[in-house]
Amino acid sequence: MNKRERVLRTLEIKEPDRVPIMEMDIEVPLMEAIIGKKYPVTTSLQTQVIADRELEKKRNDFRIECYKKLDFDVIAADLSAPEYWKPKIDSNGKLIDLWGRVLILDKQTKAWIPYGTLFNNPEDFDNFDFPDPNASGWTFSPEYSREVAGEEYALSTFIRDPFAQAWEMLTPINFVKYLYQNPQFIEKVLDKITNFNIEIIKRIAETRTDFIISGGDWCEKQGPMVPTKIFDKMVFPNLKKQVDTAHRYGLKFIKHTDGNINPLLEGVSNIADGLHSLDPSAGVDIGEVKEKYGDELVLIGNVAVDNLAKNTQGEIAEETKEVIKKTSPGGGHILSSSNSWASGSRLENCMVMVEIGRKFGVYPINI
Amino acid sequence: MADLKELIIDLGDVDEVKRIVKDEIGSGKEPTKIIDQVTEALTEVGKRYDRGEYFLSELMMAGIIASEVSKILEPLLAESKKKATSKGKVIIGTVKGDIHDIGKNIVIMMLQATGYDVIDLGIDVPVEKFTETVRKEKAKVLGMSALLTSTMYEMGKVIEGLKKEGLRSDVKVILGGRPITKDFADEIGADGYAKDSVRAIKVVDCLIG
Repeated sequence: MNKRERVLRTLEIKEPDRVPIMEMDIEVPLMEAIIGKKYPVTTSLQTQVIADRELEKKRNDFRIECYKKLDFDVIAADLSAPEYWKPKIDSNGKLIDLWGRVLILDKQTKAWIPYGTLFNNPEDFDNFDFPDPNASGWTFSPEYSREVAGEEYALSTFIRDPFAQAWEMLTPINFVKYLYQNPQFIEKVLDKITNFNIEIIKRIAETRTDFIISGGDWCEKQGPMVPTKIFDKMVFPNLKKQVDTAHRYGLKFIKHTDGNINPLLEGVSNIADGLHSLDPSAGVDIGEVKEKYGDELVLIGNVAVDNLAKNTQGEIAEETKEVIKKTSPGGGHILSSSNSWASGSRLENCMVMVEIGRKFGVYPINI
Repeated sequence: MADLKELIIDLGDVDEVKRIVKDEIGSGKEPTKIIDQVTEALTEVGKRYDRGEYFLSELMMAGIIASEVSKILEPLLAESKKKATSKGKVIIGTVKGDIHDIGKNIVIMMLQATGYDVIDLGIDVPVEKFTETVRKEKAKVLGMSALLTSTMYEMGKVIEGLKKEGLRSDVKVILGGRPITKDFADEIGADGYAKDSVRAIKVVDCLIG
């Protein structure tokens, strides 16, 4: 069974030969340490910031080399900037992205992070030149990744969830203000991003991607960021439209979120194919989720990111075994951290997670 | 007439809240009494958030409404030279190497709405900037935020910087941010720690009171 077959079987919630291993992202300092090279570009997990196709190839090459060295089962791609886009950096070093967000560069991780917005009122959004999903170039990263990585690997492509995208485009405080004072405006923004995603999903399906990860957070430590009734009214219907499109085009759809997703599990399990991260630091018990929703949801997780930063290798080994023991039997589990390998993580701990995953993730699980 | 405190708790219409505040001012109510009502409302909203009855957006919306009230009151306080009625000055910033500011900005909004003067140093703030501002502004409280486990240790460097500059006893230091725990705050010698914006106000109130 090759890596892609292993992952595809897992996505069908069946047991493969062993538990697949992946990370949605590895921050630059760790990737540099893993492959012993300097990262060639600045990037962003949240958005597209590279217009030059040669640099975009280098960005993808770097990640593929790193993921191959780790012997991961999934190569993680994302969307590239469309060919028409050129980056604009202002005199203060801030970059305006395709989504009207103002980004600043985190020098440590070499990543652009959302900081501000062009949208100070709803009219700014109405007048904004919204990205065109039919422009060429958006799917350069998954196309190139498939070509370079070959058919042996599973391929995931990362898109941004409309709720999280709107939350960041408008800034959290403005998003909340409009949510309560002008909810029609928020609905309009969510619809527009959802329609963009629907078109993009169709394009991603042409790249031989195996599954989509819809990134961006819905929840914080305490629970969902907005009341569950707002999820029922504004978020889940849009999620369903995207998932239905993915399914029509033969793609699985995994929703990522940090935070305590417990109050939303029922709703998500009725729509999406799986969940990524299952944040233990926010009280999500992956074993309980497996027990209740393991027949409906693929679970990707959940060695705690905080523990990768501070615990001993022995503790990480025990935690990884526990995650496998609770989640892997019956299939439908991909081992990963509870978000990504962040730059504060100890590399030796990350490597223990992988090593234990290989050793104890062989089916039938016997821990 | 609707009660201001209840309106904030119920996330009432902002225009109605503003109208009530203006009416109360017009009828001679002291701005500080209005701030007290706002503080009581935010405390109740915080309790509901703690109990899982309110979501983050509701906590934030109460802060947004309170902030609108604060904007109306601020010039009145300045005009009547009652700026001294400010509960105190708080310096706040995200530590060096960390550029996350959502939590910090919510705390600032809450502190301002409950009568504090806040100096926002922004993000990626080096040790020297914290110590210089403490010296210059003579603030009662210094708040530091970090989202990343890789940057939280900068907080200890700031506290060491304050000691080196002979400023440590002049200012109370509180910490916040996703990876921060009480144990960590104790370990690096901070005076307080808050796991969310409502607790941040309580901790600042206690430290200053």
